[in-house]
Amino acid sequence: MASVYEFQMAMTCEGCAGAAKRVLGKLPEVSNVETSVEQQRVLVTSTLSPDRLLETLQKTGKECSYIGVK
Amino acid sequence: ELEVTVSVEGMTCMSCVRNIESTISKKPGVKSITVSLEKKMATLIIDPAQISPEDAAEAIDDMGFTAKLLS
Ligand SMILES: [Cu+2]
Ligand SMILES: [Cu+2]
Repeated sequence: MASVYEFQMAMTCEGCAGAAKRVLGKLPEVSNVETSVEQQRVLVTSTLSPDRLLETLQKTGKECSYIGVK
Repeated sequence: ELEVTVSVEGMTCMSCVRNIESTISKKPGVKSITVSLEKKMATLIIDPAQISPEDAAEAIDDMGFTAKLLS
């Protein structure tokens, strides 16, 4: 079962949001990614663990943290 | 030492440029990196004994920016 996980990410522009979508989109277990630069939030629908998703998000070079299940 | 050029898609501002420069310059084998927002390109000086041109381009791609090795 996929869950929706909420992450905080220090995004400064749409380039950051695009990078978040692209790194997560490479994972077949990720079915949806929503980003808000304004709210500094990334919502990820996936069957993967939040740890694994956070690790992937961190590849963008931006500071991020896990908030919880939506 | 080898100079490598990589096309980079997806950057929107100087903060993207600085993010890529600071992250990639920490990679072993990367001696320097300069990113151009206008040209959508990165120029790297690498030590090919430590990192291949393909892996250097891949490192940028892994950050979420579409990167292709040009030369
Ligand atoms: Cu940005
Ligand atoms: Cu930017």
